Amino acid sequence: MADTVSAPSSQPPAPGGRPVDDRTAWSLLDDPQEWTSFSRPVPDQPSCWESNVVFEGMHCAACALTIEDAVRAVPGVQSVTVGAASHRGRIVWSDQAARPSDWMAAAERVGYRPLPAGDAFASERRRAETRTMIWRWGVAGLCMMQVMMYAWPAYVAEPGDMSRDMDLLLRWASWVLSIPVLMFSCKPFFANALRDLRQRSISMDLPVALGMIITFIVSSLGTFEPEGIFGKEVFFDSFTMFVFFLLTGRWLELRMRDRTAGALEALMNRLPDSVERRRPDGGFERVAARRIAVGDEVRVLAGEAFPGDGTVTEGATHVDESLLTGESRPLARGEGSAVIAGSHNLGAPVLVRIERTGDQTRFAQIVSLMEGASSSKPDIAQLADRMARPFLIAVLVCAAGAAAFWWGHDPGHALMVAVAVLIVTCPCALSLATPAAMLAGAGTLARGGVLVRRLHALEVLATVDTVVFDKTGTLTRDAFALGTVTTRAGCSPQQALQMAAALARRSLHPVSRALVRAAGDDVAWVTDAVQEHAGAGVQGLVRRADGAQTAEPASMRLGSARFCGVDVSPTDSLHACLADEDGWLATFELLEDLRDDAAASVKALAAQGIEVQLLSGDVAPAVARVARQVGIDQNHARGGCTPQDKLDFLRAAQARGRRVAMVGDGLNDGPVLAGAHASFAFGQSVPLTQARSDFVVLGERLKTIGDSVHLARRTMGIVRQNLIWAAAYNAVCVPLAVVGWLPAWLAGLGMAASSLFVVVNALRLSARTSDPARA
Amino acid sequence: MDILFLLVPLSVVLVLLILGGLWWAIYRGQFEDVEAEGQRILKDD
Repeated sequence: MADTVSAPSSQPPAPGGRPVDDRTAWSLLDDPQEWTSFSRPVPDQPSCWESNVVFEGMHCAACALTIEDAVRAVPGVQSVTVGAASHRGRIVWSDQAARPSDWMAAAERVGYRPLPAGDAFASERRRAETRTMIWRWGVAGLCMMQVMMYAWPAYVAEPGDMSRDMDLLLRWASWVLSIPVLMFSCKPFFANALRDLRQRSISMDLPVALGMIITFIVSSLGTFEPEGIFGKEVFFDSFTMFVFFLLTGRWLELRMRDRTAGALEALMNRLPDSVERRRPDGGFERVAARRIAVGDEVRVLAGEAFPGDGTVTEGATHVDESLLTGESRPLARGEGSAVIAGSHNLGAPVLVRIERTGDQTRFAQIVSLMEGASSSKPDIAQLADRMARPFLIAVLVCAAGAAAFWWGHDPGHALMVAVAVLIVTCPCALSLATPAAMLAGAGTLARGGVLVRRLHALEVLATVDTVVFDKTGTLTRDAFALGTVTTRAGCSPQQALQMAAALARRSLHPVSRALVRAAGDDVAWVTDAVQEHAGAGVQGLVRRADGAQTAEPASMRLGSARFCGVDVSPTDSLHACLADEDGWLATFELLEDLRDDAAASVKALAAQGIEVQLLSGDVAPAVARVARQVGIDQNHARGGCTPQDKLDFLRAAQARGRRVAMVGDGLNDGPVLAGAHASFAFGQSVPLTQARSDFVVLGERLKTIGDSVHLARRTMGIVRQNLIWAAAYNAVCVPLAVVGWLPAWLAGLGMAASSLFVVVNALRLSARTSDPARA
Repeated sequence: MDILFLLVPLSVVLVLLILGGLWWAIYRGQFEDVEAEGQRILKDD
């Protein structure tokens, strides 16, 4: 096994500075230690594994067939099933004849990129949960229908219409069919009520469970001892019906919860991070990043992240630390300079000696700062729980009082009055009022590309009056865009751009990439003898591609003003200069690439009466310029903030009574995200930040922030309607039940109607907003 | 009307049988991927 622990990197480094190609990364999955994260052994067949993968790029049933055929053709693969709707596949393979990378590559060849599904076993648990739930619900539903049939004659028959034997027969039949409902369908309610009693707490399930038991006992006694103190009335129909409706509510709740949870877990499916470690013999091997130890020398390719804090020992490059510091410009790092874990290598491959790993890194310190901030988070959920307790105790006291009052009159009637009180109070409507609306809201948000991490965050988001944006990666994309071009007389901006792009094609620097992108594919100039000077610029011979007009190639430089030997008055924005033998030729202004909908989103938020602020770790002039472009008040934009500054600012705003939502991207926003009342993370950011934010935005659209606030406000509107309805209903019906005017069956009907009202009202939320969200 | 003394117990048995059918369907996964059955006709085998 030892030789499979780390697959040697048989391939040359990925060309063009792209992230490591998938084949290499998949070979990491050939390490048996990685298998258990997405596979498990098949019980009966030795050396057979069952793997779960998610396929990217699937859109129909034909895709599933193509993948199945391609993967099945790989030797060693025994069976393949791909779900067209779920985009998931289950592959059984033998470790004697195949490796995961073999069949993963086969799927990639037909155009679908497989990712190991680490969440497969979580979703399997969910599936088992759903099955049991449907089964309980189905039992309650079928039994309810039949018990209703048996109860019907008793309701319509005139006295004397039915023989006593027939009446008894129907009761026995009802009793028999109520038993599975009591023993099986009601089990979760009893289990929860028992657990709460043992912990000396109280929940919505306790009155329900009490009501169920009392109803069943009274009805059973009515069946078998009609002459007993509880009389001969039976309530099997009410009993089965309210169990069925309660379970319907629970099941809807479970389904809506799973839909959000499933989408979120899918986010975590990704290839393991890996890096090339130098072997003692001088060669390199690709190993999982978590295997790196202090003192190892690793080669970090362009596009990869540094696996630990360390020092560059060979080579020079540029790094992107914007995730950690908010600094959006690439920083030059040569031999002997320090690099930090989690930052990205943008330029050339470098050798790094690792000095700190794991908990010791700056990355981990930011994480721990984040955890400290999250513990001080305001928690409104507890308030709701505290409110529920006195209410439930009042219900129990009320039921007991009503039973005591009526006992002298007729014990059977007294108990059913108590049951009517327990059931008519409809803990269902009250308990569903908030989560049903919130889940419907969360589901609608999820379809619009926003995942809700904590349901209660919706409640907070509805009250938000200030939204704080981060700049890099949030309002702007990570890349640059070309601004104005100024040129020497006799040279058109377009021509200058073409020449600059010719040089820039040989470089991976973000500025170069922006120039190449701006110039397009038109290759009018070719270059020779190009040299890149790290941190300064590119130099080379440039001549026209057709070779006709300028036979003599010109020596040109592209880079910083100093590198080009020109004096430019210092400005706040980023520039690149182009110079030839005669000196300055052109200056390219580089702007941060603002997201297309940034200005519109800020305006939409302002229209909802929300104050928009901008806090960034980037230099102040750059922040001010972005603020001007998107229409944020200059007084509300601050640059040069460290994570601590941002957190202080946030606390100060909260102390003034503002309700603050934070929209961030980088890890440096983590503490701030955790300290804000509500927080959004954009999906491309590191998973840790996502875990700490209340909302995760999956797409690139900033507009979703405003939509989310709007939907949160509507959701809370619905929650208020629901609560008012539930309260009014209880205020009317509880007195009626206490004085005995409300029979148990009517109480059950009222309860069902009130909870249906609540659920349907909540579903309005998903029906009406789904269209604009998709548009 | 005496036939009811046979039919009512029979209906109880019938409900229990239907419940058995439901159990079989749920635990065979019939309700998990409702789209797959419609797409099965597209498959070759």
